[in-house]
Amino acid sequence: MNSRLRINAIRRCDALIIGAGGAGLRTAVDILAGKPDTTIIAVTKVSSPQKSHTTTAQGGFAAVNPKDPIDKPVYHMFDTWKGSDCSSDQNVIKKIVEAAWEQTLWLDNHGLHFTRNEEGRFSKRTFGGHTLEFGEGPSAFRAVFEADRTGKGIMDTVWGESLKRNVSFINQSIATELIFKGERCIGAIIFEEAKGEFTAVFAKATVISTGGLGQVYKITTNCRQNTGDGLALVLREGLPVMDLEAVQFHPTGIVGPGILASEALRGEGGFLLNKDMERFMERYAPKMKDLAPRDMVSRSIETEIREGRGVINSDFNLPHVWLDIRHLSDYVHDVKLPEVTGFFKKFAGIDPKKELCPVRPTVHYHMGGVPTNEFGEAQKSVDQIVPGLYAVGESASASFQGFNRLGTNSLLELFTMGKFVGDRVSEYLGDADEPGDLPKGAGEKSFALFSRYFESKGGENLWKIRETMRELMTEKVGVFRNEKDLNEAINQLIEFKEKSSHIKLSGSSLIMNQELVDRWELDNLLDVAIVIAHGAKDRKESRGAHTREDYPERKDEYNYHTLASMVEYGKVTLDKRPIDMSIFEEKSKDYKHFDFMARKY
Amino acid sequence: MGKLHSLTLKIHRYDPEQKKSWVQEYKIDVGGMLRFTDVLRKINQEQDPGLAWISSCEHAQCGSCGVVVNGKPLLMCELLVQNAIRQFKTTTFSLKPLTIAPVLRDLIVDLPQAYKRVHKAKPYIIEPAETPPEGDELRIPPRVMERYVEATRCINCFCCAEACISSHRHFLGPNAMMANIVRLFDPKEKAKKERLDILYGDDGVARCHTSEACSFVCPKEIDVAHFIALGKEAKFS
Repeated sequence: MNSRLRINAIRRCDALIIGAGGAGLRTAVDILAGKPDTTIIAVTKVSSPQKSHTTTAQGGFAAVNPKDPIDKPVYHMFDTWKGSDCSSDQNVIKKIVEAAWEQTLWLDNHGLHFTRNEEGRFSKRTFGGHTLEFGEGPSAFRAVFEADRTGKGIMDTVWGESLKRNVSFINQSIATELIFKGERCIGAIIFEEAKGEFTAVFAKATVISTGGLGQVYKITTNCRQNTGDGLALVLREGLPVMDLEAVQFHPTGIVGPGILASEALRGEGGFLLNKDMERFMERYAPKMKDLAPRDMVSRSIETEIREGRGVINSDFNLPHVWLDIRHLSDYVHDVKLPEVTGFFKKFAGIDPKKELCPVRPTVHYHMGGVPTNEFGEAQKSVDQIVPGLYAVGESASASFQGFNRLGTNSLLELFTMGKFVGDRVSEYLGDADEPGDLPKGAGEKSFALFSRYFESKGGENLWKIRETMRELMTEKVGVFRNEKDLNEAINQLIEFKEKSSHIKLSGSSLIMNQELVDRWELDNLLDVAIVIAHGAKDRKESRGAHTREDYPERKDEYNYHTLASMVEYGKVTLDKRPIDMSIFEEKSKDYKHFDFMARKY
Repeated sequence: MGKLHSLTLKIHRYDPEQKKSWVQEYKIDVGGMLRFTDVLRKINQEQDPGLAWISSCEHAQCGSCGVVVNGKPLLMCELLVQNAIRQFKTTTFSLKPLTIAPVLRDLIVDLPQAYKRVHKAKPYIIEPAETPPEGDELRIPPRVMERYVEATRCINCFCCAEACISSHRHFLGPNAMMANIVRLFDPKEKAKKERLDILYGDDGVARCHTSEACSFVCPKEIDVAHFIALGKEAKFS
């Protein structure tokens, strides 16, 4: 073992938040609103919480005002249930949807600049899959927004509130190991990149809010930091993750970098065209057309491309379709959606007022994550929680999104669940014992990992493995999947993992060594990738964003969440968690709409 | 693939352990549609995995990847190779870290330290206005918001602070000032007096020399100088 690797400092706090994006900081702020003298440490991989991925969310935040004369919370619950392909948990749906409006008022009051209409009230826009009257009525205008930077508004608000309430930040740092005392999680080992040192942070409660895993795929809207760190962290502790096979492809990534072109562009009236200038969505979703849920639109685009009706972009050698927003008013282009229309100009050299925009599916979100109950308590099995450990945001799965998420439901979920998790942590902190001393062996997993990185010899190239893995996942574990491809992917991932032990780092410094962090991320990516592939292989059906060409129908026998854990690389153990049907089972007024149903739009 | 361009990059490097600085030259052939972040990643992949730089969102929404290219502070993620060649009329580029905070390694500076100046400007509502009863939102006419929402697009990339001719030591900086000015406009903020104290304090707008360099370099094309001018004149209504 490398002697430079040791615990350099010990810090103590009431709550440790790993990942300081929208969900993590909403949790922190909620705890502090109830009890201002709580000590909270928030760890972030980026240089300021303001740089988190939450800041890139564009379109909006779904919330029904209970006093709305037209829209109703129960319609929103129905759309979320149907949109998830009947795979989300109804207790969670009810809880989040009913709390949504109050949360928007909290955000507004704490400084978010929601776009207003002429009456000075919140403007609203529509997104795919959001309807009135249980899908029988027209599209619902349900999402409040701040132009096309709603995520930035949320991030700035919770970051500001965290500063105001004295959250202590550890920036540019990663959590390499959880600390346990018996069954209870009592903190984490943090590697501080700028110092090149390990700090053991003891906490009565630890919250994982590390965000997504988009970097597993070649083309993604996710930021560079979204490498599935929290999921890999949990897997390495022998704990399960849930529904990782449910990966959402957003239909309209800008060709080239994969940057998100918000669904709001279609919400405002934009539509998709194939090479023959046909509005092809009319064939796939006669009623909702371009505003069908994301998984359906992504499959439709991929089908158009496969059947030869796509267009090839010569700069990137990538097939795509067109998004037409030329007919939208200057007001929409310049005021309502200025950032997105600007992306086309900046990154694709296209003027969307005059030209068609090249778009194709891009990995955007994962519905799965660390399994939690409706309070955000992390689960080790269907009926057992891990004391002291919580998860929230994209890295968690309660599950509000099931197997497909509707647009504007993620900001809603991360923010509202953040509040619920904060409430639960506050309760727990009241009775929880001090964590005590550093348990024997704490930190050794981290040191073993880093020693391996520094001591490996051989000619393998870190980036080559990373890029090849991303191509493999896109090709074999992408929008369409089948048994043969999934088997190949699993075998190749095992090979990549083996190869990765022959990567020699170019330098041996611990201080701000980006290559060292890249190496650690590669392990995380490989770990979550194989769990995605195994989950997809085992689920011999098509459900939401998970599409098997060899099993194109949804099957009742798979009406459950996948729990997956991994003791040794490639040895994935699968278990099941039932889907909560409490709205249906309560038999209240509208319960009939909450049974399993075919998903047509 | 489109046409390839042969670039020469002269990158300013720093090794914190040896306390050593030097300029390293890289030659690389790349397509015109690549962003500078893609070019550096390609250098990591093909030539030098040890070259350190940071980014996050890579589409100009987070402000992590600011550097000085041929004298101009900008975000590497939104600089396309073909645009860089057109803009700077060369295929040789010098890349230096920002000077707004100490360098940690190569192109990475201590942004958390730079952020302390923004924190001093209190980027939040100090004292919120009363909310309307019965679960309604506060009514704010769009005309009122139009006066300041543009300034809320700031991502704290510190390009303006880098370009600012007023000293980094005595001025909180254009971005920090703008965060304060937004809340002077915002009807939801009640603590206007405290805001004015920040604005007209020792490290406030009086330090600005009106070079308007901030507006010139802002990657988000915010007219930063306009908001600073409104701040100087106290025109908030």
